[in-house]
Amino acid sequence: MTDRSKRKRTGLLLTSSALVLAGCTGRQSALDPAGQEAAEVYHLFAVMVIGGGIIWLAVIGLLLHACRGQRRAWSENEASRLIAWGGVAFPVVVLFALLVYAVWLMPTIRPWVARAVPEPTLIEVTGEQFWWRVRYPAEDGMAGFETANELRLPIGERVAFSLSAADVIHSFWIPSLGGKMDMIPGRTNVLSLQATKTGVYHAPCAEFCGTSHAYMTFSVVVMGQDAYDDWRRKQASGNQPGGSEGERLFAYHGCAGCHSVRGTTPIAGLGPDLTYFADRETVGAGALRNTRENVERFIRDPSSVKPGSQMPAFDMVPHGDIAAIAEFLTGLR
Amino acid sequence: MTEVAIRELSPEDFEAQERELREVWRTPSGWRYWTSVNNTQIGLWYGAAAFTFMLFAGLLALLVRVQLAVPENDFLSADVFNQAFTLHGTVMMFLFAVPIFEAVAIYLLPSMLGARELPFPRLSAFGFWSFAIGGVFVCGSIFFGAAPNTGWFMYPPLATDKEYSGIGADIWLLGLSFIEVASIAAAVELIVGIMKCRAPGMRINMMPLFAWYLLIVAGMILFAFPPLIAGDILFEMERMFDWPFFDAERGGDPLLWQHLFWIFGHPEVYIIFLPAIAIMAMIVPTFAQRPIVGYSWIVLAAVGTGFLSFGLWVHHMFTTGLPQISLAFFSAASEAVAIPTGVQIFVFIATLLAGRVIFSVPMLFGAGGLAIFVIGGLTGVMVALVPFDWQAHDTYFVVAHLHYVLIGGMLFPVVAGIYYYYPLIDARRLSDRLGKIAFWLMFTGFNVAFFPMHLSGLRGMPRRVFTYPAEIGWDWFNLVSTVGAFIFAAGVAVVVIDVVRPKHRQPKQEMNPWNAGTLEWISEPEEAWGVRSIPIIKSRYPIWDQPGLLEDIKAGRYYLPDAQDGARETLVTSVLDARPVQCLRVGGTSILTMVAACSLGGVFVALTFHWWIATLVCALLTLAAIITWLWTGTAEIPRSDMRDIGLGKTLPLYNSGPQSVGWWGMFITMAGDSTAYASLMFGYFFYWTIHDDFTAGHSGPGIAWPLLAVVLFVLAWLVMLLARRANAADHPGPMRAALMVSAFLTVGGCMAGLAGPHLNPMDPTTHVYPAIVWVVAIWTVVHGAVAIIMQLYCLARSVAGRMSARHDMDLQNVVLYWHFFVITAITSFGVLGLFPAVR
Amino acid sequence: MRLLPKEVESLWTLFTAPTIWAAHFLACYAAVAIYCEKAGAEDFTFAELRLALVLITILALAGIVLSAWLAWRQWGFGSGDPPHHAPTREDRLLFQGFATLLLSGLSFVAVLFVAVPLVVIEACQP
Repeated sequence: MTDRSKRKRTGLLLTSSALVLAGCTGRQSALDPAGQEAAEVYHLFAVMVIGGGIIWLAVIGLLLHACRGQRRAWSENEASRLIAWGGVAFPVVVLFALLVYAVWLMPTIRPWVARAVPEPTLIEVTGEQFWWRVRYPAEDGMAGFETANELRLPIGERVAFSLSAADVIHSFWIPSLGGKMDMIPGRTNVLSLQATKTGVYHAPCAEFCGTSHAYMTFSVVVMGQDAYDDWRRKQASGNQPGGSEGERLFAYHGCAGCHSVRGTTPIAGLGPDLTYFADRETVGAGALRNTRENVERFIRDPSSVKPGSQMPAFDMVPHGDIAAIAEFLTGLR
Repeated sequence: MTEVAIRELSPEDFEAQERELREVWRTPSGWRYWTSVNNTQIGLWYGAAAFTFMLFAGLLALLVRVQLAVPENDFLSADVFNQAFTLHGTVMMFLFAVPIFEAVAIYLLPSMLGARELPFPRLSAFGFWSFAIGGVFVCGSIFFGAAPNTGWFMYPPLATDKEYSGIGADIWLLGLSFIEVASIAAAVELIVGIMKCRAPGMRINMMPLFAWYLLIVAGMILFAFPPLIAGDILFEMERMFDWPFFDAERGGDPLLWQHLFWIFGHPEVYIIFLPAIAIMAMIVPTFAQRPIVGYSWIVLAAVGTGFLSFGLWVHHMFTTGLPQISLAFFSAASEAVAIPTGVQIFVFIATLLAGRVIFSVPMLFGAGGLAIFVIGGLTGVMVALVPFDWQAHDTYFVVAHLHYVLIGGMLFPVVAGIYYYYPLIDARRLSDRLGKIAFWLMFTGFNVAFFPMHLSGLRGMPRRVFTYPAEIGWDWFNLVSTVGAFIFAAGVAVVVIDVVRPKHRQPKQEMNPWNAGTLEWISEPEEAWGVRSIPIIKSRYPIWDQPGLLEDIKAGRYYLPDAQDGARETLVTSVLDARPVQCLRVGGTSILTMVAACSLGGVFVALTFHWWIATLVCALLTLAAIITWLWTGTAEIPRSDMRDIGLGKTLPLYNSGPQSVGWWGMFITMAGDSTAYASLMFGYFFYWTIHDDFTAGHSGPGIAWPLLAVVLFVLAWLVMLLARRANAADHPGPMRAALMVSAFLTVGGCMAGLAGPHLNPMDPTTHVYPAIVWVVAIWTVVHGAVAIIMQLYCLARSVAGRMSARHDMDLQNVVLYWHFFVITAITSFGVLGLFPAVR
Repeated sequence: MRLLPKEVESLWTLFTAPTIWAAHFLACYAAVAIYCEKAGAEDFTFAELRLALVLITILALAGIVLSAWLAWRQWGFGSGDPPHHAPTREDRLLFQGFATLLLSGLSFVAVLFVAVPLVVIEACQP
């Protein structure tokens, strides 16, 4: 019966390593790296999984052998030697090697920002309950701008982030690109990442931050340098006013008191910036997919889709007005 | 046997001895049953309560799993989900994992060491009642929707946000502080018990490994829990009075809490793990039918783990943005701690290899637990490496890792222990068939539930999310996990059924069904006296190596075969060689422990709801109960000085100073108290480190008042030394005068200490600097107030004729308290007065 | 009484080497934490601080070796093999010597582990 367990465990291990080797497709997966740090860590992980698997099999094999009734009993000397070699010498050497590897890796994947990014242009990301405020600095003659719940990064370039929190502790994590860094009130942490594959990735908040911790995600679009520059230029100049009914109602019902749509409304900083809102994947930092119906649903009663959301319900606003505002927002591209 | 000729007793005398003993150790009946302080009752209640809390927390986990079974589920609301996972973690850690070890230790240790009782049985009872009250209070909160909901780690500023956390955070802080007090009480009890109450001849090279482990674990509790208590104090001051310890806007820092919490939190893991491995260290030799191979290696591993575990705490903070080099130090220590852990596993394997293994249910759980634990250990080595942890931290990978460690390293061995030790409770074995069913359900269910979490975690699933979107690709992993969780729960249910099913029809069996070699198997379930007579030990496995031991013990041929003066007695022996030095009279059945625990519970409950008057009343009641307890139950002057303990040996009944267990109890308690104090001072210097200008322009307490306080406290301490000298010279008059003078000086010191921050006006709500100054001053002054109570107590004892030149235990202990206190006072007011000003 | 008695009648010697490890660990952690928080306020460089800590490491290792040597001597220089389970004072002393020796070994390795970052990491970077 113990043999059966062994077989089952081996099976599990094989399945899991198969999954690992096959490269799981996932836009939010550390097993499918698209950045320098994530790739290095994945490599470290693969080394450890293989080594760990062999060690586990050896130890458990020995244990099962020891539990067998019919075999020669070892002498006390032999048994003591097993402790000294298997329990001490081997682990000391392996752990030391692993430690040196990992400690050496630390400055390699997270180089000192002051040195690695000349004149660092930090993208400021602030965690707020439960969304992400993003500020791109002015650079290369382009003006700086604010956006929310979405990051765009150029491929192949090391980008540095300045991370802070407005209310409670959050944690900034783009699994496909690299590890996480906490955002702590009163402190500013710096993290740099280097994307190596274009694509759209998902990033959750990794530190429990309250009721809607689950609905605090953002997306990361890694793009070619030219596309990235175009996007920055477009963002910096803002939306063009269209004079639609929705645009008017957006201001009339007070939405613009908290949310900016650059180019059409005065700047307001309380809630997420909504410039080029239609380009984003989700409503409410991951609460719903970005469709017109969902935008309407969110405006009517945010707390019912995203519990603990700071935004008040607007269910007293006429249905048609909400529809027009949603129309306006989903047209911002 | 011994060199002394044994006088065989006549059957009548033997009967009379047994009657006497039985009467002295009788378990009270009726409702008074609950006033019992006997270690077997306390141990069982403790264990049953801890297990009940475990089942409750397990149900919460099932709720959590149901919610996560499918994406976008609305089985639980976000708020209930947050309460459920917070309470699951809290209850499992504080109300099951730590207390179950206290339960097992209190139940097993006396008989394992060949003692009748632990040295402070009433303290054990007090600890149990505190634990039970605090536990019910914390668990009950969820039925009122008021459970803590910020995660078991309670990170501010989320947990200091009153709007979000409501009263739940207060329940967590106060309820658990109360339970921490119980744990520290147990630690004091166990350390003194293991060091001083072993059977004669049980030198430290012959102690059962279980005792070695528990000695280390109790020591760890002493240094791990106080930092959390200090943290709790700061936290509660912020929540109740708005002192900004963790508020960044007023100079506080949320990271200080993380440091204090994890300085407690990581050793805690080993505090949980080591006792379970200790059970394994008892089971393995029995089923290998040979002594353990590598006894010294186990001692190495236990002591080494105990130390190294205090250098790991920052590995819970690898993503907080501390300098990489700091992280790497902790990573190194976290790798190093794997070495002693590996040693233990290899000691077990080596022992099995060197023996002939009898496979049975306890071994099944032991081996299965090991197989699971090794995976947890290997993933532990992985997450201890900083780069990998940057990815894995706060994901389901860590959830998988910690459950592999705790369930493999703790729950499985504990269940093995239940199957192994059940005959000690009931003289019957549990069912082999049910045991095997339970094992396979638990083993399969566990792996099905937790193995996929490694993958879902690395595929980006963060911890503590109440739901997740469908398209992200975690749905299958989660569904499988939920199914596994229910299979696992079914296995646990089988164990519960096996334990509680009526067994009247089953015949009682022999006393030692597994043919074990250690002393706990001599105890008789029907008798409350522990051991019939206290044997002389000559082997690590006395039952195997000392022929006729059982018969001689039962025939009363060893020490203390009788009872005198209606007192419960046990032997005190020397630390290294276990030479008998004293016959100790321990406290018997009393309701005082329950009264003290209930009123102290009242203090904490009333504080939670800000009922200040009730708090005060309960506090006074607690004080009264404790003083009555001390007055009537401790340091009693015996009728005769010496006691014939049999085998031609006569021992004193009263010892004081370092010879007495009370002195050791005080010493150990104060070591824990000093650790809490050191944690507060750590906070003081932590704030200094993180700020360019620590005081932020606020006025300090000045130099004069704090230094005056130092002078007065030092004088008071010197006068206490005079009091002790006067007492030793049998001059009660000068001794009483000195006590009074010292008390006045202490009052003066306290007032001077508070005058600094009060007169300079320092408003603790404005900035963290005045707040931390006030906390340090108050901590010291409260200890001064306790010192005054002690001085008055000694005065009263002397006047009442309960203290004399020879019987001076009270005074000796109070002077010991003063040694610790004067160091505290000098440090506190020295630092407050000089540190920020003179720099 | 000699300065370093051959047989120590105390449980505490067992803890010498781990205590040295703890002191060394604490020294490294505190020095670096304070230096990096107060960066710029001191008039010495990070490299100099690391060098000082390496020297402390060598001192700690020397202390542990000394404790190991004393333990080895108490253990009779390995003349008697474990298990040291006889009910005699001699065996108790041998046990203490052997256990202390093992703990010195573990502490030595642990100090070496903790010293790795001193060599590899060159800046206060987060």
